[in-house]
Amino acid sequence: MRSPKVYSAAPASLHPLLWKELTEILSGRALWIMLLLVCPLVGYSFVQAVSLYSEASAAALQSPASSTSLSPLDGILVPTFGSFYVAVTLLFPFVAIRALGQEKESGSLRLLVQLPYRTSTIILTKLAAVLAAWALVSIPTLSVLGIWVLLGGHLGPLETLNLVFGHALYGLLVGTVALFSTTLSDSAATAAIIALAVTIGSWVLDFTLAGRSGWSAWLAELSLTQTLRNFEQGLLSAGLVLGISAVVCGLATLSTVWLPPGTAMRVKLVRSVPCVLITIAALAAATQIRKSFDLTEDRRNSFPSADQQLLATLQLPLIITVKLAPEDPRYIDLQRNVLGKLERAMPNVSVEVVGGRQDLAGNSDTYGEIQYVYGNRSDVSRSTSPREILPLLYALAGTQPPPAVPGAEYPGYPLVVSAEATLFWFCGGLPLLIALAWWRSRHPPRTKFLEFEGGQR
Amino acid sequence: MTVADSAHRGNSGEALRAVNLAKRYGDEAAVAGITFSTCAGEVLGIVGPNGAGKTTLLEALVGLIAADSGSVIWRGEQLQESSKKEVMFYLPDGVRLYQDRLTAEILSFVASVYRRSARDVARTITAVGLVPALQKRVRELSKGYNRRLLLAVGLLTPQPVLLMDEPFDGFDLRQIRSIIDVIRGEAAKGRTFILAIHQLADAERVCDRFLLLSGGRLRAIGTLEELRAEVALPAGSLEEIFLALT
Repeated sequence: MRSPKVYSAAPASLHPLLWKELTEILSGRALWIMLLLVCPLVGYSFVQAVSLYSEASAAALQSPASSTSLSPLDGILVPTFGSFYVAVTLLFPFVAIRALGQEKESGSLRLLVQLPYRTSTIILTKLAAVLAAWALVSIPTLSVLGIWVLLGGHLGPLETLNLVFGHALYGLLVGTVALFSTTLSDSAATAAIIALAVTIGSWVLDFTLAGRSGWSAWLAELSLTQTLRNFEQGLLSAGLVLGISAVVCGLATLSTVWLPPGTAMRVKLVRSVPCVLITIAALAAATQIRKSFDLTEDRRNSFPSADQQLLATLQLPLIITVKLAPEDPRYIDLQRNVLGKLERAMPNVSVEVVGGRQDLAGNSDTYGEIQYVYGNRSDVSRSTSPREILPLLYALAGTQPPPAVPGAEYPGYPLVVSAEATLFWFCGGLPLLIALAWWRSRHPPRTKFLEFEGGQR
Repeated sequence: MTVADSAHRGNSGEALRAVNLAKRYGDEAAVAGITFSTCAGEVLGIVGPNGAGKTTLLEALVGLIAADSGSVIWRGEQLQESSKKEVMFYLPDGVRLYQDRLTAEILSFVASVYRRSARDVARTITAVGLVPALQKRVRELSKGYNRRLLLAVGLLTPQPVLLMDEPFDGFDLRQIRSIIDVIRGEAAKGRTFILAIHQLADAERVCDRFLLLSGGRLRAIGTLEELRAEVALPAGSLEEIFLALT
C-alpha cells in the first residue's frame, strides 16, 4: 500500500488543486442555471438595442450629418452588457459562493486545509475558478459580438475589448466579495445574504446618491457600479484598474486570514487590521492616479487630435476654478466636454470646484463663472463648450489654434437591421448547447478511471 | 499525567507528544489540560462516551480548532501550527466530501496532490473495499462506503500520524474486522494511528493503548494490562475498566 516514510513537505503541484476547483465550480447547479437565465436576458436586451439602433439609423440615413452620433458602443454594446451586469450583480454571488460554501457546509474544508497548500494558494485557485466561471457565464453576452458582426454591424476593437475587460474586473470584484463573505459565514445562505447586501446595496447607493455632493458623492463613489462607468464611456483609467485590483487583493488577503478554521477569532481580527489599512492606502493612492486612455473610436473623451497634440506641449500648470455646484447640469457638461478631456490632454491641470448647493438658488452674481489661470495670465468664461474654451486657453498660452485636420471626423455606423431571428439562438440554440454541456459535465468519460480499476485484476 | 504515560514517555520510540492541551467553550472545559504521547507504529484509542471531548482533543491536536493552551511535540521539537499538517492528517466524523463528485475523482485528486502512483491507489481501493463505489457520486454512497472513502483518503496521505474520528461508525462486524486489518497492517509499517472511538469493544479490538476521557478530563492512559492493574481488575474488559475509572 503506502510506504511508512516520514512525510517530507515537498511543495505539492498546483495542477490538481486548480483542476479540483474548476471541476467543483462546474459541477454546481448555480453556474448552469445562471447561464440559462442569462441567455434570454441578454438576447432580449440585444434585440431591443438593435431595434432602437435601427430606428435611429433609419432617421440618420435621411440626414447623413446625424449619423456621426451612431456608435455601436453606446447603441448596442453598453445596453446589452448592461443586462449582463444585472445578472452578475444578482446571480453571480451564488456561483462564486459555491467555490467555498459547500466545502464549509459538508466539512470538506477541514480536509482541504490539511493538504500541503498555503491558505493563500487555496484562495487564489478559488479566485481563478471564480474568474473561469465568469468567463463561462459571459458566453451568451460575448456571442452578441459575433452576431452583431454577422448582422453587418461594426465593432471598434479597442473600445469593445475595454468594455469586456471592465465587465471582467466587475465580475472578479463581485466574485471576491462573495468569496470573502463565504469565509466569514458558516453557511452558504448567510454568505449569499452578505454578498447580495454588498452588491445590491451598492447598486442602490449608486442611483440614490448619484449627482449629490460632499459625503453623498463620496459614498456614491464607493458603489461597485461605479467601476463600470469609465469602461462604458470607452475610458481605460489606470487609477480605476489599480483601485479595483487593490480591493480584489485586499479581499483575497482577508479571505486568507479568515479561512483557516483553527485560528482564534482575536488573531483573525488582529491580522485583518493591517490588511484593511493597506487596502485603504492603496485605494487612496489609486484615486490620485489620473492617467487614463480614450479607447473610443469616435474619440469622444478627447479633443481633436491636432488640439490634443498642441495641448500636450503646454507645460505650465493650468488652474481651473469652477463656481458651480457639482449637481448643476452645467458642471456635468463642463466635466464631460472640457475638464475630463483637459486632464487627459495636458500634463499639469488642477480643478477646484468652489460652488455649493446653496449657490444653486442664484444669489451670487459670480455663480457659473469658470476661471482659467495659465502661467501669469487668467481669463473667465461661463461656457461649457470646448469650441469656446480651447481658443481661450490658446490665447492664455500665447499660441495659435491648430488647423483643423480634414477627414478626421467619426463617420458613425448606421445600420438598419432586424435581430428578431437571433432570439432563436438566445432562447433555443444556446440554452440547448448549455444544457448539453451541463449533462456532459455530469457524465465524465469512464475511461478516465481505468487506472484504479486495474488494481483489482 | 498517569503513571502509565510517564513510563511510555521513557520509550525511545516516542514520536508525537501532546502537552497540556486545553480548550474551553465559555465556562465549560471541553478538554482540560491533557498530556499524552504516542510512538511510531502504535494505535492509540481515545475512548469515552459522547461529549467526553474526543473530537475536540483531536481537532485541537491537529490545529483545526484553536486550543486555549498546550503544545504538540514531534520527535522532540515543538510543532508550529503551520507544520502540523506535515506530521498529522485528520479524518473528521460526518464529512461528505464533494457530494457531486465521483468517488474515483476524489481519490484521483488526493493521489495527484501527494503524487501517489496508480498502483498505490489501486491497492488502497482494494484494501478498503471501495471498488463497487468508484463510479458513484459521493452523495449516493451509503454511510459505510462514505467511511471507506474517508479511510482511503487517509491511507493515501503520507503523514506519519493519522487521526480518525469514529472510524468504525457505519460498519458491520465483518467490515470492522476488515478495516481493523487494514489499520493494523499500516501500523505495522510504522504509521501511528490515533482513533477516537466511543464503542469500547471496537477500541479493545484494534488499539495498542487507550486514553480514557470523560468530561474533558484524562482519566487514565495505558495498555489494557496497565489499565487493569490500575483498577485492580485482572480480567476486566475495557468497558469495566472505564466504568471503574469514571
